[in-house]
Amino acid sequence: MSFDVNIILRYYPELLGGAWVAVWITAVSLVCSSAVGAVVCIGRLQKHGAASRLATAYIDLFRATPEIVLIIWVFYCLPLLFDVRIGRYGCAIIALSAYGGAYMAEIFRAGVQAVPRGQIEAANALGIPIFHIVRRVIVPPAIGWMMPALVNFLTELLKATSLLALIGVAELIFVASTLGSKTFAYMEFYTAIAVIYFMIIFPLSVYARRAEQRRLRRTGN
Amino acid sequence: MIRAGTRAGTLGGLANRWGFHAVLLALGALMLANLNWTLVRSFEFAFIWEYRIALINGFGITLLLTVEAGIVGILFGTLFAIGSQSPFAPLRWLVAAYVEVFRNTPLLVQLLWIHFALPLVTGINTTALVSGIIGIGLQAAAYYTEIMRAGIQAVPRGQIEAAQALGLPARTRWTRVVLPPAIRTVIPALLNQNISFFKATAIVGLGLLVDDFFNSALRVSNDTFHFIEPLTFAAAVYLVLGWQAGRWTLRLERRLTRGER
Amino acid sequence: MTETAQDSANGANGAKEGDPIVLCRDVVKRFGDFTALDAVSTEVRVGEVVCIVGPSGGGKSTFLRMINGLEGIDGGEIVVDGIHLPGGKKDIQNVRREVGMVFQSFNLFMHMSVRQNLILAPMTARGLGRKEADDRAERLLERVGIGDQIDKYPSQLSGGQQQRVAIARALAMEPRVMLFDEPTSALDPEMIKEVLDVMRELAESGMTMLVVTHEMGFAREVAGRVLFMADGQILVDAPPERFFSEAEDERQANFLSKIL
Repeated sequence: MSFDVNIILRYYPELLGGAWVAVWITAVSLVCSSAVGAVVCIGRLQKHGAASRLATAYIDLFRATPEIVLIIWVFYCLPLLFDVRIGRYGCAIIALSAYGGAYMAEIFRAGVQAVPRGQIEAANALGIPIFHIVRRVIVPPAIGWMMPALVNFLTELLKATSLLALIGVAELIFVASTLGSKTFAYMEFYTAIAVIYFMIIFPLSVYARRAEQRRLRRTGN
Repeated sequence: MIRAGTRAGTLGGLANRWGFHAVLLALGALMLANLNWTLVRSFEFAFIWEYRIALINGFGITLLLTVEAGIVGILFGTLFAIGSQSPFAPLRWLVAAYVEVFRNTPLLVQLLWIHFALPLVTGINTTALVSGIIGIGLQAAAYYTEIMRAGIQAVPRGQIEAAQALGLPARTRWTRVVLPPAIRTVIPALLNQNISFFKATAIVGLGLLVDDFFNSALRVSNDTFHFIEPLTFAAAVYLVLGWQAGRWTLRLERRLTRGER
Repeated sequence: MTETAQDSANGANGAKEGDPIVLCRDVVKRFGDFTALDAVSTEVRVGEVVCIVGPSGGGKSTFLRMINGLEGIDGGEIVVDGIHLPGGKKDIQNVRREVGMVFQSFNLFMHMSVRQNLILAPMTARGLGRKEADDRAERLLERVGIGDQIDKYPSQLSGGQQQRVAIARALAMEPRVMLFDEPTSALDPEMIKEVLDVMRELAESGMTMLVVTHEMGFAREVAGRVLFMADGQILVDAPPERFFSEAEDERQANFLSKIL
């Protein structure tokens, strides 16, 4: 067996292109997930009522369904159900955002609930308008609390983009498989993309772990 | 009126002010209005019954991979976790490197590498199912190592020192003093991880074309050109099982933490 | 202070020295089946210092929190400087500008410096400029004796210092009434005095104050009236010299015998 580095170097623009697709889909999905998550989180924070039940159902639904099943379902079923053309990339973003929304909602909720009640009460007692309470009193400490979980979720999202190869999105695996079948250098290309994934994800998870430890030390348990 | 006023300070109140429910209703109505009703009316789930043998066999593969992830994962995870506590530094580094590599790359990449690249190294061709079993096992070992390590580190230092002071041999120290409480504390985490692997087995099916439950359902779709019914059915099965297992785990977790108090 | 037509119909009217500024008529509060306040009526005049004492669970804190709109009112009404509660969100907001509150657990914003804690409300709720708010913050911190701590974070201060910052934070809104909910209960003994000294100075300056406290010395010395609350009712309302010498209620006698 021999490992031909040259073939990787020859096709590096294609590989970088795949990495770029993975990154921008992750970025767009993260933004959409946050939007979905914020709405679901507000519903979840209600103590009772239809919105609360609906939000809980949403979170349960999308956390219990495997990501891959969701991606395939959206790709095959959604366009038929609504009689629209969505395209691979649209399906990818819809599926990842729906899945991500459930996780982001729980992350947001944990963050908001980590803000002590007394802080919000004090702000109320001072007569600070609700907009400023959310922006200045709730959000800053909540973000500090959520950061590790958020970055962890980001790594999960990056890993989930690999599944998009199965619906023909030209991310890293798709590119490597195409190049592999063309050149038979599966070894080289699959190794290359594993390294690329690792280089993107590993620093993030190291950061998440450190931030988590910092937070635990700060809060004292 | 009074209540709305006092709740204005909470996020719940904020949601009410936005007419949250009205927005939800509008969204729901919009979705219903845009559904392809001709198609919905033609739904027919009965034909799935004809493929029951294939689906049940597929489910067997899914179960096999799930159980394998649990057994291999806990076995090797425990071993590696003990290795990660070794005084011999290179062994610790090796375990750390293994865990990081398998946790920080996607499962599908690992599966493809094992199925298509590894045979070029070993010269042994593996079937898709065997590749899947190897891949799930390797990844499970990495994830369970982390969990077991956390469990071991949660055992109070004094326990280990007491065992050392008593002159217990290393083997006894691990099997009788450290591991039992360590495993007990991480049982919920182990179960949650296994639920994740139950979900991940579908990646083996589609990625390596192993006829697990989900890939069998997709085959039914391709066979009959009815996509929505088999895929929705399959998704519902994963959903119900995953959800129920999650609830059981949560209940167990609550009981275990109560027991400690 | 009056910004809208609605405000002027139900708004602050600037009570003068000696006028009643907080009026409670048959105030009721329920938590589910439990009646926390059972038709409480009293009034507090401008410049008065009223201490509320009594066994825990008697409704003291709930009563205080209702005056600031932190708890809803299930019956009766509370009038603060002409603003009627229960009312709309605007009314609650207006009451909160008139009434400052100090909590047992300080509740400083932990992620903000002392300065930021003090300027947030004046800038967002009163529309003060940065410069003005800063000046006010510095002046108030000087007044509570910790002018040199302005750029520290709450976690770097002692409990007593934190509570003094909390008092300054409430004062920064220039309230006409100050509510204190057991302000020294969470403090180590050696820090209680520095907080009580600040409160005493505040009382002497003519601030209207309602204080829920277990510090009988403070009540005896500073209060104009002492209210004894138990089972959701005001059982005794007397000047301190009478309150502490001749008990007029059995439960009051029982309470005093335990605490003095």
